[in-house]
Amino acid sequence: MNDRLSKLQQDITLIELVDRVLNKGVVLAGDITLSVADVDLIYVSLRALLASAGTIDRLQLDTG
Amino acid sequence: MSTAARTPPVREGTGWYVYGAVPAGEASVEAFAGVRGVDPSAGVSLIVEGPVAAVASPVPLAEFGAGAIDERLRSPEWLEDKVRAHEAVLEAALRGSAVVPFRFGAIYHGESHIRQMLRDHELLAPTLERLRGAVELGVKGFLDSARFRASREGEGPQASAPGGRAYLLRKQRERALTEDGRAFQVACARESHEALTAVAREARLLPLRQPELSAYEGEMFLNAAYLVDTTGDAQFRERFAALESEHWRDGVDYELTGPWPPYNFVEDDE
Repeated sequence: MNDRLSKLQQDITLIELVDRVLNKGVVLAGDITLSVADVDLIYVSLRALLASAGTIDRLQLDTG
Repeated sequence: MSTAARTPPVREGTGWYVYGAVPAGEASVEAFAGVRGVDPSAGVSLIVEGPVAAVASPVPLAEFGAGAIDERLRSPEWLEDKVRAHEAVLEAALRGSAVVPFRFGAIYHGESHIRQMLRDHELLAPTLERLRGAVELGVKGFLDSARFRASREGEGPQASAPGGRAYLLRKQRERALTEDGRAFQVACARESHEALTAVAREARLLPLRQPELSAYEGEMFLNAAYLVDTTGDAQFRERFAALESEHWRDGVDYELTGPWPPYNFVEDDE
């Protein structure tokens, strides 16, 4: 139970982190940088993945 | 150089990954002792140009070069690892001085290119000045509808009448409670944001996420970031705790995260 709670807490922190590192912060032209569109794309898909994994964790938490 | 420019995907050699910018006069490379970069075999360097320094570390282009990195990005594990490393470096920077966080993935061919980038962006220095002595805190508010309804019991029309009339009254009451809940969310978001903004240097409202992964069951009604003086941090947390105790009975749960590097307080054109 405690393991699951701390896993959930970690996932929440990771979402906060992803919301910032992949979606905010200054974008200046880099030489070989990913394009902003690429970063936006990976942001959206990673966020969806994290949110759905968290939903499953919470369902297990409620029933377990 | 001209022949190199025509060579397709760079897969060998070394590039530089840039995490952010710091004031050259205040930042010291010792702040990054023991901190690993996005490539765990390399440490963190400061590349100074005038009043500003880039926080950077060397990365193998076989992993981070054009073409190569697109393959890596398909692995959520790889990405999570690199996102965490990016944050760890910026948190180390934040302990020593102000920092302008860059978005993930700023990779340069060499130190001279980074210096050029620092020269080209004159707003970095004034932005660092604006962010001096402050950190970002994140606040989210959630409304637990069961607790909200319980707190409103005893208000409004009571379902004590017999038969069909009681049913209609219950229905009416349901609708009224749902509307009350929405109105409360709007009012509480405004009140909370105003109270916290009053003890912050700057504030930003962020998009609400539904449904959101959270420790709380409720519906998110507030998502915001606050730029808070490091010296005023205790005052901000007190105000936050006051909101928590004031609105717990209404069914509100607040979430406070940070301190973060000020990701939400730098604009793209800086």
